[in-house]
Amino acid sequence: MTTDATLASHLQELRRGTVVVASLIALRTPGYGYSLLETLSEAGFDVEANTLYPLLRRLESQGLLVSEWNTDEARPRKFYRTTDQGNAVAETLSGEWSRIDRAINDLSFTHPGSDK
Amino acid sequence: MTSLVDRYVFTALRRIPEQQRADIDRELRASIDDAVDARVDSGEPFDTAVENTLLELGDPDKLADNYANRPNFLIGPELYGVWRRFMLMLFTTVLPIVVVVNVVVAIFGEDPQVGDIIGGAIGTVLTVGAHLAFWTTLTFAVIERTGLGKADLRGGAWSLKDLPKYEPRAISLGQMVTYVVWPVILIAVIVVQQFTFTDTPVLDPAGWSLWWPVLIALIALKALWAVWLYRQGAWTRAIIVANAVLAVVTGAYLVWLLASDRFFNPAFDWTTDNGTDLLSWITPAAIVVTIIGTLWDVAEVTIRGERARRGLPTKVAGTGNTYKFG
Repeated sequence: MTTDATLASHLQELRRGTVVVASLIALRTPGYGYSLLETLSEAGFDVEANTLYPLLRRLESQGLLVSEWNTDEARPRKFYRTTDQGNAVAETLSGEWSRIDRAINDLSFTHPGSDK
Repeated sequence: MTSLVDRYVFTALRRIPEQQRADIDRELRASIDDAVDARVDSGEPFDTAVENTLLELGDPDKLADNYANRPNFLIGPELYGVWRRFMLMLFTTVLPIVVVVNVVVAIFGEDPQVGDIIGGAIGTVLTVGAHLAFWTTLTFAVIERTGLGKADLRGGAWSLKDLPKYEPRAISLGQMVTYVVWPVILIAVIVVQQFTFTDTPVLDPAGWSLWWPVLIALIALKALWAVWLYRQGAWTRAIIVANAVLAVVTGAYLVWLLASDRFFNPAFDWTTDNGTDLLSWITPAAIVVTIIGTLWDVAEVTIRGERARRGLPTKVAGTGNTYKFG
């Protein structure tokens, strides 16, 4: 495996799961598939449509999101919104993320890399 | 004519469970249209915008897999280990047994031909091997998907008790079984030869009043010795001495039986076609074999036992290393 491929696989491993947290937080304001994709990529999340759309349905089936078809506009869209349960999960997950971030910082502080 | 978007959506939906199709169809089209609009707004021509949007969504089959949330593996990591062990057992134990049984049956069958037997063996390996692999894998795949009995298959949680004992001081269960099986087979042969194999028994039937029961008892003691060693769990001087005494007594008894012509049945036809009397040289040969076998047994067990007893480095099976225990 080349260094690039190794890095890519580690990045993928690290990012897996962050899209869930980001989606649950972003959908506290109701949104549809494409709008969420825009919101997330503007916020700096590297997420692809073909993983995001199925993910939304999965989170809905787990009861973390609810959906509703909006047919008021010319193009009917399925709007998703985070449920109370989804909010609680998002809180726990982002708390865990902060804890890991702090832990990594502490570790880097006590084990500094060489400056060369 | 169907549009590119239609073709894409149809392809993806093909592999999605029926009850979800209508909803995903509607949602997917809306998402594609949104993306195309955004690209057109930023200046792309319509056709290019459609093409790029679909290219970005990627392989519709993969998208369908993501929607259906089905496993894209046959046997998952949870069951893979069990499956592998099971297959290994089937192919190293069951398959050889089946092949050997088939070959033996063919050899004793009518008009055995070397070519036919080899061909039959190869055929058995291929057919039985394919069946073993196919049905085992199918069963595991069904378990993987239904979750039926998955917990039982994996066995209980791993615990420290599962660690193998590497101490070479005692014998393993397998070694004990081997030690016990040989005497049992030997006793069985002594008893059975009286009735079958040959019209006249090879061993002197006169011995049944005393000599053979004593010999059988001595052989049975060897099996008991192995059980004792296994139960004891460690080599002791008593065990080593007991084996030596037992071996020498058994050996001496056999030599005495042979030398005093009490062993082989004189009524058996010992003359070969060209008139040589087999008994005249089979008896000394048997005496030599008995003495060598006895010495070998005593030496082998004593050396092995003493090494283990003193805790000298001993090879540990399966690791390729020598370790000093104790």
